[in-house]
Amino acid sequence: MNRRYLGLAALAILFITAALVPLSGNGYILSLFYVSVLFTGLAYGWNIISGYAGYLSFGQITFFGIGAYAVAIGTTRFHAEWWICALAGGVICALLAVPMGYLMLRLQGPFFALGMLGLAQSLRIATDTIPFTGGSEGIYLPPGANAVWVYYWSLMILVLAIGLTAIIDRNAFGLRLRALREDERAAGTLGVDTTSTKVKAFILSAIIPALLGGGYAWYLTYVEPSSIYSTEIELQTVAMAILGGMGTLWGPLVGGILMSQVSETLSTKFPQTHLMIFGALIVAMLIALPSGIVPAITERFGRKRTATQARSQEAIP
Amino acid sequence: MHPELVVQLIINGLLLGGVFALAALGLNVIFGVTRIVNLAHGQIIVLSALTCAVAFQKFGITPIEALPVALVAGAIIGILIERLLLRRLPEHAQSREWASLLITFGVSYFLVGLSLAIFSGDFRSVAYLTTSWTVGRIDFPKAQVLAFSLAILIAGILAIVLRSTKTGRSLRAASQNLDGARVCGIDIGRMRTLSFAFGCGIAAASGALLSMIYAVNPDTGSQFTLVAFSVVVLGGLGSYAGAVLGALLLGLAVSFVGFYGNTHLGSMMPYVVFILVLLFRPSGILGKPATT
Repeated sequence: MNRRYLGLAALAILFITAALVPLSGNGYILSLFYVSVLFTGLAYGWNIISGYAGYLSFGQITFFGIGAYAVAIGTTRFHAEWWICALAGGVICALLAVPMGYLMLRLQGPFFALGMLGLAQSLRIATDTIPFTGGSEGIYLPPGANAVWVYYWSLMILVLAIGLTAIIDRNAFGLRLRALREDERAAGTLGVDTTSTKVKAFILSAIIPALLGGGYAWYLTYVEPSSIYSTEIELQTVAMAILGGMGTLWGPLVGGILMSQVSETLSTKFPQTHLMIFGALIVAMLIALPSGIVPAITERFGRKRTATQARSQEAIP
Repeated sequence: MHPELVVQLIINGLLLGGVFALAALGLNVIFGVTRIVNLAHGQIIVLSALTCAVAFQKFGITPIEALPVALVAGAIIGILIERLLLRRLPEHAQSREWASLLITFGVSYFLVGLSLAIFSGDFRSVAYLTTSWTVGRIDFPKAQVLAFSLAILIAGILAIVLRSTKTGRSLRAASQNLDGARVCGIDIGRMRTLSFAFGCGIAAASGALLSMIYAVNPDTGSQFTLVAFSVVVLGGLGSYAGAVLGALLLGLAVSFVGFYGNTHLGSMMPYVVFILVLLFRPSGILGKPATT
């Protein structure tokens, strides 16, 4: 019990610190924290469909991009408030995720992974060619960006994402997700409506990056296809979730905090080779510590785990 | 629509399809034996194409001369990937699939970073044999014809190796029935390594050929993974004849859409084909419906 309170206290300190950061008035520190919050949030989004449901997606950046473009287009063409546009982006992605989920989630394993990758690429190409989205020249957002508000927006979404994951981690829906991750057909025979379960997970995994993408566009004040539908952002998100532990509640947080600062340093110091280092890191993690940091720690210093948790964690690659 | 134009587009599409076929063959060999989709496939193609482009610019080495070197270098990369990274995958089938996808995903970005560090992000191609033969009013671009012929030649040699040598038969046995092959005394571990050697070697060879046709930069790697994968899907997984047919069809699609739409739409075709086939005919054009 003591350990549990210790953990909660640490978490509270972490978030209070994060919430107080803008008061320092130091733009550089704020930008460092923003990157951490943004990527950790994205990792939580990815973790639901890929970690809990077991459908590896290499294209959740699709929704991040749609969210970002919703803000870019909404603020420039319709002169709406950025956060309203960001919310609209979330709604659009939720609605899009329904038919998309029904179609894409019929694919499995490598087919789904490559299908999502291709979807993100096609959307990038489409955004590049269509004049409405500004083409390859991109869109300059109206002035008035305020990094502090974007930061609080992203922090709020991160907290919501963690809360959502905490609920999924315990409730029946989460159990159904894990069941279909382990063996979809068996889950089906046991009465799990596999299609609707995974489509719901897909929708949740679409909304989170969309909302974060909206903030990101406002933060950058400029969007263009290759920096928004960025494979680097996708790669880092996946790497963080794997580092911390896929399909666990705290994995993305641990991975996100550890890795976002490293990645920020790497990408400024080694702009050419940081992709290489990231790729190598993913591979090294999967070979050395395939289940991620969080499961490794809980196993060693173990709180008692229920049998289901133990089993589901073993099955993570 | 002039008939000559249509014939010309068909010729271009088929010539392109030949090289696609070779690219896909590599992916198919690996998938057949190991059930692993090598997500780094396109990056190996691009790395090879970029190396050929620079070798031609700096030292005047033509892609034809570089082809055997690419084949061997690719095979070595393949052996390294399989031996060092994919040897000890978990036994559990589901975990095995996740781990192999994530590892090859990591490898693909390692190779993107490597290519960026060596070659920068510039688009490169080889300006070798830029003229055409003209028959009537139809052009046959020399580089494309050469790439097509060599692709078919390599694919043919591979087909003979798979059909008539002991190693080739063992590889096919392993891809048809792993347990059966094991019972017959085939060293499955060796077959896995061998399939990666063949697969990545062929990928690098097709990269050398592609350098004469396409301008590539490190970021285009995943496009070629998609090209190879959609060809394989179109032809039906594990079907070599289907893959060749699929590649020719995809070449035609890219050629026609690229001309009547634009090149961007043309480069989206592999993905469009991939999705349509998976949704409406998951067993491929020649494949039999799955019995699961």
